[in-house]
Amino acid sequence: MPDRREDLELIAASAQGDRAAFSVLVRRHRAAVWRLARALTASEQAAEDVLQETFLAVYRGASGFRGEGSARSWILGTARLKAARTWRRRAGEPAAPEPLDELGCAAGWGDPELAVAALEDRDRLHAALWRLAPADREVLVLRDLEQLSGPEVARATGLSEGAVKSRLHRARLRLLAQLRTAEPDLGGAHD
Amino acid sequence: MTEPASRPEQQHIGGLWCGDVLAGLADYLDGRMAPAARASVERHLDGCDWCTRFGGAYATTVRSLQRQLSEPEPVDDAVARRLDAALADALERD
Repeated sequence: MPDRREDLELIAASAQGDRAAFSVLVRRHRAAVWRLARALTASEQAAEDVLQETFLAVYRGASGFRGEGSARSWILGTARLKAARTWRRRAGEPAAPEPLDELGCAAGWGDPELAVAALEDRDRLHAALWRLAPADREVLVLRDLEQLSGPEVARATGLSEGAVKSRLHRARLRLLAQLRTAEPDLGGAHD
Repeated sequence: MTEPASRPEQQHIGGLWCGDVLAGLADYLDGRMAPAARASVERHLDGCDWCTRFGGAYATTVRSLQRQLSEPEPVDDAVARRLDAALADALERD
């Protein structure tokens, strides 16, 4: 039977050394952490290291969690910090930001033949997401897949809310551009 | 308002250039736009097939992402076992 205790209660119990409560917390959030770790690292091994380091840090940091924002955004923010150490941040960042209308044109802005059907194909979406730079993938995973709020994404990434908004818009345009060209591909960057 | 530089075929409708609509698309779709700005975008969309088509594609992409990929795949059993073992080992040593 699933443990219905709230995350805050589980974190407080973990801070008191309650390993059973901590296990519930791990089971509840490990899939989301695993997805983010895989999105932000270059190998399965690196993602697995991030997964383990994240939950270890969560356990050790439980007594310091003050409940500002959701537990999920705190845990994902911790994962993001662990992952950021494994990749060269600058290599994952887009270079100087392109003008928005250039990005828009690549995404099909102004294209009378723009086809919507391809945008709904799951395999194509998956392939396109994996072809983005980690910095773009990060914000799409946190906002559109994990559905954290703008302020929660800002907290998890250390960016301002304005920067999150701008990065999200640009990442969505780059995804749309990838979707117009990417072939369906069941694999990800780790395969 | 932003005077278009590289896309001279942009239209100026409802007080906005197509480039202004492109810049505000995320706010519009996420419902974070002030009512007056939202009304301007809607006036523009009413008269601009270009922005209507592209806005539809953008919205479809975001919805597809949220609908089709939002459920995380379960962690492999082997990865989950190694996670549990690594945590148990580290916490024993604490």
